[in-house]
Amino acid sequence: MNILAIETSADETAAAVTNKRKVLSNVIYSQILLHKKWGGIYPSLAKRAHEERIDQIIDETLIKFTKVEVFHPEGGHARIMQNIDYIAVTQGPGLAIALEVGIRKAKELAEKYNKKIITVNHLEGHIYSSFVQNSKGNPKRDFKFPYLVLIVSGGHTEIVLFKNHMEFEVLGETLDDAAGEALDKAGKILGLGYPAGPAIERLSSQVENKDFYGFPRPMIKSGNLDFSFSGLKTSFYYFIQGHSGKREDEKSERIQNRFWTSQNDKKLTELASSFQEAIFETLLIKTEFAINKTGINKLVVGGGVIANLYLRKLLRDLVKKHKGEVYFPTYKYLTGDNAAMIGVAAYYKAQKKMFAPDLNFDRIPRLTL
Amino acid sequence: MTIIKFKDKKVSEKTIKALKNGGLVISPSDTVYGILVDTANEKAVEKLIRFKNRPWGKPISVFVADFKMLEENVFLTKDRLSLLKEVLPGPFTVVLPSKHNVIKLLESEKGSLGIRIPDYRFITELAKKFARPISATSANLSGRSPHYSVQSLLHEMPENKKKLIDLVIDAGKLPRNKPSTIVDLTTPKIKILRQGEIVFKEKKIYISKSETQTKKIAQYILRKISRGLQKKPLILIIEGNLGVGKTIFVKGIADILGINNIVSPTFVIYYEYSVSAHPQGVFFKNKLIHIDLYNIQDPEEFKHLGLEKYLEKGNILCFEWGEKAGEIMDTLKSRGKIVYVKMKYVDEKIREITVKN
Repeated sequence: MNILAIETSADETAAAVTNKRKVLSNVIYSQILLHKKWGGIYPSLAKRAHEERIDQIIDETLIKFTKVEVFHPEGGHARIMQNIDYIAVTQGPGLAIALEVGIRKAKELAEKYNKKIITVNHLEGHIYSSFVQNSKGNPKRDFKFPYLVLIVSGGHTEIVLFKNHMEFEVLGETLDDAAGEALDKAGKILGLGYPAGPAIERLSSQVENKDFYGFPRPMIKSGNLDFSFSGLKTSFYYFIQGHSGKREDEKSERIQNRFWTSQNDKKLTELASSFQEAIFETLLIKTEFAINKTGINKLVVGGGVIANLYLRKLLRDLVKKHKGEVYFPTYKYLTGDNAAMIGVAAYYKAQKKMFAPDLNFDRIPRLTL
Repeated sequence: MTIIKFKDKKVSEKTIKALKNGGLVISPSDTVYGILVDTANEKAVEKLIRFKNRPWGKPISVFVADFKMLEENVFLTKDRLSLLKEVLPGPFTVVLPSKHNVIKLLESEKGSLGIRIPDYRFITELAKKFARPISATSANLSGRSPHYSVQSLLHEMPENKKKLIDLVIDAGKLPRNKPSTIVDLTTPKIKILRQGEIVFKEKKIYISKSETQTKKIAQYILRKISRGLQKKPLILIIEGNLGVGKTIFVKGIADILGINNIVSPTFVIYYEYSVSAHPQGVFFKNKLIHIDLYNIQDPEEFKHLGLEKYLEKGNILCFEWGEKAGEIMDTLKSRGKIVYVKMKYVDEKIREITVKN
């Protein structure tokens, strides 16, 4: 069963052809380089870039799939599409105008080549990313349900019970900012550019990921599995305000600039590390709480923040303590947004005949599991 | 004692009948359960004072329907009137020199009267139909805490007190709003006699000491600015530094519209929600768009956000980092009602929230 998958939920334009869990071809066009310059997602570019590149990305994906070098758009498409059984597309959650681009394209192809569509929740993709295989079928991880899933990315922070294929139960989620977003915002306060995660990881490792300032671990005593990172952001901001000796009514960027040019690097690394530690320890505490609460010690982790090797180590240590196992996305490109994970999730939906009944579906920017 | 449901179609008629007969009526309000009596019927007022165990000489406030009825009952200067027009209807009791059109027992020894225009249509309509002020005192005995449900109220009430009550209007559990803020306007310097949920300021500045309070203030502001705004979308431009509580403010607004899954939209720029609750007096029945311009750097951006399609009546657009909305402000202004909300840190916990139309 070959699936052509399309993903345009945020700033990656991506397409892939998958067969069961195997990725036969995969193309990602990331706008992060474009966005880096601007310090965040750049929606006009996001929408325009998706629109401009979607055709080309799908073509490239199909070319790679057939290993045909020269490609004639019309006749070629039709011939290759004969080998595609279904079209999968991300329906949400995500940026409305970005999701629309992928969905429009999926509908167009479905109509033209008479294919069924499988709509996929972006979070389903992240969950399955730890089970994605390369074209040769590696790695050969079996499913041993149930799992606890931790999704940590720029847009999401959730703990999910993964009972069986396509059977999810959200046990906890962020009530405000996502962990990745909090890291990005702290990074911006520290003048680190976008995305700030990798820079914070690097700075933190220079001081052995120690905690110097003891910023709060939000909601760790809430007794549930929900997260909240906005208060942590407040205390971080307030801490820096206090130490920069500037008043609130001044433009914050100016404060930061003046502050940071006058500070030494040591302070910067200590702040970055302390903030990262506050986020990670909160994730760890909640994950451990979930393990204790459910008695499940097999952990699946997905999302961009798990590219952080230190967080991986912390989670490995945690499951070791509980004599469990932890699974991370099988290849690095699977931590970020990509269409391969969407195609793999779609396969399990197809198995359950979960097809879109017609082409009248719309994007759902706040889609939940 | 008769108990009727708030939803009862004849609730208004039955209440008026009971009031006309000099009866005591327990009624829901915008704050807590209160006791209504006819303020021109001395026997009724005496019965009320007996019911409350109220020391004689301690005044009792009154509800009026509108500013017209307010001016019929108290003296006030033009300045004070325009100040009150900013905050009323709302959870405030204002104390002003009485024109003595109500029973004297309700007034203070100095001849002033506490008066309320509640943000609660049932009561303002009632006062209008009744054509005179109605008492506005909480349905607890003096010195006891107020009640948010009829059940708890009746549970605590001694049998001999129950006999004094003629009608109880049961509206179920009321939201836990504090009693009104009492503001003394009889002297040139404004005095706060009792602090309720909303801080009374001459300018539209609110002080919040907690997330819960920020939400309540947001809801209060929404109710205020919603009034008369039926034909345009409402656009809230929320400004303030990182972590000041902008998302909390939006959550407060979303709460009363029946939306309880607001999260930060920073990563995707904006999220769209469908309104599922329709509180009275709030005319936004379609969508709430929660936008975060934090990541926006270039004015060119806005052309591609697709926000214009949301500029329709019945929608609310909440912009975080609204100060970056400069480029689309003209479009927003021409097609919607803009309200600026500025949030500032006072200290790590306390915020100052300023509203400008």
